[in-house]
Amino acid sequence: MLRGQDRPESTPQAARFVTATTQRQKLLSMRLLSMRLPSMRTQKSPSCLSRNRFSIGVSPVLGALVGLLFTLTCVTRGQSVQDDSAETGTSIGVTDRSHVSHFFLSAIERSQPKMAKVFGASAGNVEGNATGILVSGEGHLVTMQGVYLDGRSIRVILADGSEHVATVLRRDRETQLALLKIEAATPNYFELSEQPVGQQGDWVIALTNAFRVADKDEPVSVMWGIISLRTTMEARLTRRDVAYNGELVLVDCITSNPGAGGGAVVLADGSLVGMVGRIIDSSETNTRLNYAVPSSALARFVRGDRDELQSTAIADEKKIKEKAELGIVVFKLGGRNNPAYIERVRAGSPAASADLKPDDMIVSIGGEKVGNVKQYEQALENLHPGEEVILIVKRGTEFLRIPLTPEVRK
Amino acid sequence: MKRINVKLDLFSSSTHSRPDRRERTWRAIVSGGALTAIFSSAFFSAFFSVFFSATAWGQSTLDRAIASPMDPIPPVQAVDLGIGMIATAQAFRHAADAIEPCLVTIESFGGVSTVQGRIGGIRKQGEGATTGLIISTDGYLVTSTFNFIQRQPVISVITADGVRRFAKIVGQDSTRKICLLKIDEISDLPVPTIAKLSDMKVGQWTISVGVGYGDSVPAISKGILSALNRIGGRAIQTDANISPANYGGPLLDIQGRVMGICVPLDPQSAAIGAGVEWYDSGIGFAIPLDGADGWLDRLKQGENISPAFLGVQVIPNPEGKNGLWIQQVVTHSAAQQADLMRGDLIVAIDGTAVNDLLRLKQILNRKEALQVVRLSVLKEGGTEPIEVEVTLGEPPPDQPNRDPLEPPRIR
Repeated sequence: MLRGQDRPESTPQAARFVTATTQRQKLLSMRLLSMRLPSMRTQKSPSCLSRNRFSIGVSPVLGALVGLLFTLTCVTRGQSVQDDSAETGTSIGVTDRSHVSHFFLSAIERSQPKMAKVFGASAGNVEGNATGILVSGEGHLVTMQGVYLDGRSIRVILADGSEHVATVLRRDRETQLALLKIEAATPNYFELSEQPVGQQGDWVIALTNAFRVADKDEPVSVMWGIISLRTTMEARLTRRDVAYNGELVLVDCITSNPGAGGGAVVLADGSLVGMVGRIIDSSETNTRLNYAVPSSALARFVRGDRDELQSTAIADEKKIKEKAELGIVVFKLGGRNNPAYIERVRAGSPAASADLKPDDMIVSIGGEKVGNVKQYEQALENLHPGEEVILIVKRGTEFLRIPLTPEVRK
Repeated sequence: MKRINVKLDLFSSSTHSRPDRRERTWRAIVSGGALTAIFSSAFFSAFFSVFFSATAWGQSTLDRAIASPMDPIPPVQAVDLGIGMIATAQAFRHAADAIEPCLVTIESFGGVSTVQGRIGGIRKQGEGATTGLIISTDGYLVTSTFNFIQRQPVISVITADGVRRFAKIVGQDSTRKICLLKIDEISDLPVPTIAKLSDMKVGQWTISVGVGYGDSVPAISKGILSALNRIGGRAIQTDANISPANYGGPLLDIQGRVMGICVPLDPQSAAIGAGVEWYDSGIGFAIPLDGADGWLDRLKQGENISPAFLGVQVIPNPEGKNGLWIQQVVTHSAAQQADLMRGDLIVAIDGTAVNDLLRLKQILNRKEALQVVRLSVLKEGGTEPIEVEVTLGEPPPDQPNRDPLEPPRIR
């Protein structure tokens, strides 16, 4: 077993166990000499010990022969595992999965054949490559949208190094997902779960071809992290960018890098948490967001289920027909970055009947924070006449919760 | 055999993927091994049991997890460590759940959004809420000064019960980037457990927590403690993600105790935005709350704590001897008030000999404005060093060679 030499490991535990392996023979003989029971499990299990002691007196000859046969079978089998791994060069015994340094091993082994590298057109300094995940046995892939999908041809390289030309079957503006198809059978693919996979704190690995590190049949890069948060949020790259308001799975490994979009985030058992998203900045923090589009959203997209989105779009259209008015004049003299202080309340307006007063500061409208005059004006545009909304205002050092029904703006 | 079953449940293939050849072989071995164990326990003597089974297991499993005199981990822990990974994930969740009542969501209103240049690595401060931590039942909260980089005139905090309250800034410590807030007329806030600095070990788990991503549930990030005694002994260092999403939030240990408050820091610069360029980079800092009573009390008194500024420009002694040669003295600085002149030689500070600039910087980094240092100065033309007591000042507010990370200026 050349495990230690073949497979570079980074964790200190791994280093320690490599040392342990080199001393295998010595340790084994020590173990035999010490006449302790062989199974590593029995050492800490007193019940097993007593059972063995009890059995000492029994030992019929027939049983011994049968036991001998089984034992020899195991020896031969065990040997064959080693030979097998030596031949293939993988050299990691399957049993190593029990070890902490290989906690992610089976997830990685199972996920790598389901990964694809996507290459296409590039534009300026925007990279023309991405990662993709296989989602069907017939060559369906999901990736994130980008310039690489807009060129003359899209090349997809599977884990075995085979190269295929892909066509774009479907794109979604809001989630920024794209469904690709290659003309090849792909027996290894991710099952898309309709239910949320993984919860906050769970260990995950992210498989991405960030910075185009892997080429041809080279496996994509693997990172570890945990799920930071499952949340819905507004996030965007620039003001021109489409806001994505779906559910997101935030992870604490750094996935927001060029080429990583379309990568896989999987749990230690290999189930797909979601797909690594594009590089976007959170407007909340103005920092890069390391996130995955959850597998349930991928499942909806692959299924072609767009009813929900269309219906909300239609509803939104209806609502913006009439503009709402509260009867509040905010103090604008200090500029639009000032807090939204009420300068004047128009008589007979909804604000007047709700007893709002000059010098009240508007803190939030309908649960949305109003940080300044600019945000107040934006919030006002989103209100609908006749629909009651909760205003929170600061009066002195008190915060008041005031229900208000906007009227139609004249 | 129970433990083997546990192991297979945790790490073997899930049902929908076909096990490969090696995996099938392994399963055969497990069942073979199981039968061996059963037969052994039923029929064999202790000797046979030991000999044959050890041979069978020895080649495949046992050796990898075996303990040696050099390696004190008992074999059974190979499984326990794997379970430990899952337990760790649970501990992360528990820590986040446990701290949640002590977290506050800080909203601020107004303020200048026009910042000259970038703040560290980001365009400007985000629009979202920021994180604070309750430290006393009567309403004192700590957070990071970064969260008020736009000098917002109105601040409200939302406690875990969902109630929004008016908060005011009591004091700021710009050496630690920590800000003390107070909410009034309250007496029953939950307070977190503080981890002891003396118990902290480099390499232990850390969890950074913050509500900055805009959800009422805090986001968490895992890491380890990278170093103690950083940034003039004020901070601890971690590789957990530290960013505007959790500046002001707590850094927890695996038990959920507060190790420190996440802040942006840069050993080379005390500017308000310095350190933000390292967000989510694996280099992150937190200010421990253990032993913080001294400076927290000063903040409670309404004091602001500033970095120390001596006000001398020095070069190594041109004569090649000990000391630092003063090239220039900044006007109105602490050095000028102590009558230091160009040509004087600083030989020692607080009894420590200084021969290079870095040493002097290192000592001054550990000081704050208004603290007194004792300098041994050899005046120009003098023969014996004289002792001078200097009350350190604050850096001048507007330096000509400002770097882009300096505080924002109103346009």
